[in-house]
Amino acid sequence: MDTSLPREFSELERFIDQWALPAQSERESRRRQTTPREREDFYEAVMPRLEAIIAWLDHFPLDAMPPEAQRLLHLILSLAEIAPTVELYRGSATVPYSFDETRFIAVHGDRQD
Amino acid sequence: MKPSNGKPSLWAELYPELGTEPIPTDRCFSPEYFAQERERVFKRVWLKVGRVEEIPEPHDYKVKRVEVANTSLILVRGDDGQIRGFHNVCSHRGNKVVWGDDLCGLRNRARGRAFVCHFHGWAYNLRGELVSVPQAELFFNLDRRANGLTPVATDTWNGFIFINLDPDPRQGLKDYLGGAGERLEGFPFEQMTRVYEYYTVLNCNWKIALDAFSEAYHVATVHAGSFPGVFDAAVKQVRMYGPHHSGAAFQKPAPNPGPVAKLSYRLATSSIAKPGSRSSLPASVNPERDPEFVFDQTGIFPNYLIDVSDGLYFTHQFWPLSIDKTLWEGIQYFPHARTAGERFSQEYGQVLQRNAWLEDTGTMEATQIALSSGVKKVFNFQDGEVMLRHSYKVIEEFISRT
Repeated sequence: MDTSLPREFSELERFIDQWALPAQSERESRRRQTTPREREDFYEAVMPRLEAIIAWLDHFPLDAMPPEAQRLLHLILSLAEIAPTVELYRGSATVPYSFDETRFIAVHGDRQD
Repeated sequence: MKPSNGKPSLWAELYPELGTEPIPTDRCFSPEYFAQERERVFKRVWLKVGRVEEIPEPHDYKVKRVEVANTSLILVRGDDGQIRGFHNVCSHRGNKVVWGDDLCGLRNRARGRAFVCHFHGWAYNLRGELVSVPQAELFFNLDRRANGLTPVATDTWNGFIFINLDPDPRQGLKDYLGGAGERLEGFPFEQMTRVYEYYTVLNCNWKIALDAFSEAYHVATVHAGSFPGVFDAAVKQVRMYGPHHSGAAFQKPAPNPGPVAKLSYRLATSSIAKPGSRSSLPASVNPERDPEFVFDQTGIFPNYLIDVSDGLYFTHQFWPLSIDKTLWEGIQYFPHARTAGERFSQEYGQVLQRNAWLEDTGTMEATQIALSSGVKKVFNFQDGEVMLRHSYKVIEEFISRT
């Protein structure tokens, strides 16, 4: 798999395999399958670059992104998926005091972003 | 009297007809009560079964199982563009005509020019007319015109498809929605076509699920995880519209948002957590344009909630499958993002709301089990649970109607 990113974000290439996932259901599963340390590592690396990433991506129309831009978009959508576990749930992969999320069926879950 | 944001008085004073007494809990686990709800409520009112965007072109159709009425429906857009509804039952020997109506009707969409029963090949056109009967010459005076698919009253309002299982509905859809429909008139529902849809079967009575989404009292506890200290625990701007009602939720600025949350709010043009520049609210919603407004919820009796916010809306629907099983469908509708920043922000807000719904649904099954013990005979509703009180009263009225 091609894991290259634009040069200014190349230090994030190590996260592509694990986190550049086009469907929300994949991002959800990855959140549940990872350890708090893996999520935090990803969060700490991407979060400080988030504004720069978005500014760079905003040069492309959403429906016509080159592959490396698309990978970067998928990466930050994973950040959106896991940010609450770091910022709100003290590292817990799932929402504390909640319904079993594997019973929530997401009809849109396999849609490719 | 005009309710105001300041909430100067109790809702009980504004709506004295609702009373203040406790409500019997057996309405959520009595089989007799459930049978009455089935016959006298669900089979007599307009029920939302879809959005026009699900079947946008002529010949598009979807099937929707309606367990509470032991039926399955076909909703189809004809050559003329009109949407019609039919019971999904063959006139020959009663077989189901279109299959594949798994639990969540949201997914069962297709396109075709005829409905052909798999049992013996009877075929119906998109207007429900019986157009082909194999071995027709062997039938005895078969009247094709009297043996089309059985129609079900079907109409649309602002792109929402409703049906009424009463063969002779006492009101049209517009009259039924009344002031509740007028309140939401002008909201650009048709622009919110980026859809995120969830469903699950909750092991609880449909009203336990509905009630949990119909008050703001629970937010400080249930949403301590996803929205810590954010929402106001009081429902405001409550209005009754016949069997329907509306109320609004408000928030304070999040006391301590994390960096990703903060950036997401800043980039947001539509997010449950941060209203933004794609302003879309009709004058009737948050009329005083209070900046702390988050969303306005309209409960369409009996089982549908439409929540409009600035630049998005979301809905909940609660379909009884049995007395203690409920199909819940929770759907978030956004405009399509135009930039990566909007896309990111939308994803963050959408994910956070999904998480909040996981918190909401987390209480329901435990409530049902505990209630079924019969130990507690009544619900003690506070003033802010006025919309729950209203629903229980309206159900009583429907059941006691002759």
